[in-house]
Amino acid sequence: MSDLATALVFWPVGALMLVTALYVFVTSSMARAGLLLLAALALEGLLFLALASEFLGVLMLLMMSAEMVIMVFFMVMFMPDPGGLMGMDMVHDKRRSAGAAVVVGLLLAVVAVLTDWPAQMLPPDAPDVRAIGFEVMGRSMFSFLFAGMAILFTIVGGIMVAKQGGRYGVGAPAGEAREG
Amino acid sequence: MITLPVVLAFAAVLFGIGLYGVLGQTNAVMVIMGVELMLGAAMLNVVGFLRFAHQDSTSGAFFVLILLTLMALEAAIGFGLVISTFRNRRTAEVDDLTDLSG
Repeated sequence: MSDLATALVFWPVGALMLVTALYVFVTSSMARAGLLLLAALALEGLLFLALASEFLGVLMLLMMSAEMVIMVFFMVMFMPDPGGLMGMDMVHDKRRSAGAAVVVGLLLAVVAVLTDWPAQMLPPDAPDVRAIGFEVMGRSMFSFLFAGMAILFTIVGGIMVAKQGGRYGVGAPAGEAREG
Repeated sequence: MITLPVVLAFAAVLFGIGLYGVLGQTNAVMVIMGVELMLGAAMLNVVGFLRFAHQDSTSGAFFVLILLTLMALEAAIGFGLVISTFRNRRTAEVDDLTDLSG
């Protein structure tokens, strides 16, 4: 993709990504918030595509679309008003949290703009899927196996945490049981 | 023309929005969404460095794969904790979880 084409895609898609990400926390409906988060992360996947990371962009689109659909289910389950018809406020400590977010965001942006980064432009044909495959099967294999094990442990641990009675089983020992 | 500082600045603003969600939202599921956005900003940083500043791009792409895995794991454990909390307290509001507050 040429520099002009990259710029033509990056600016509008990037701006839309930031707007949708902000509206995730502005809307009063969790169902809408989930779909807006899906839109923000899908737009980030498009940014990856524009930045010549095709494999990562497609992977991001696929993973996030599945994850956010699951997340919408959780949001509908755990909020009293999934449709957002009552206009409830889900924010606490609004001024301080907004102030901290603005300060951190601006600080990071200023550092990013003012730092003299090294400029070693990547050739547009790299990285390709084949090279990533060799990387996974080569020197990064241990890290990849570690990620796989982490996923397995998370599956087991997540179920143990979430199941009825927690990790002690249905008959919880004294001191662990709580009033429902 | 897109340069590395532009990409990093977009990622910084996205990180700030995610931080606002983590600090300001009262519902645990929304806090998880804020963390997702912060990790997304980290990934955008890595892809920017891949594109503009790093020759050995393949290992960098692998780093994004690890971050994507981390996003999924964080959401899974977070949802597990939300379900557990809801079973015990009948709420997912973080303001109600004050057992350890001083």
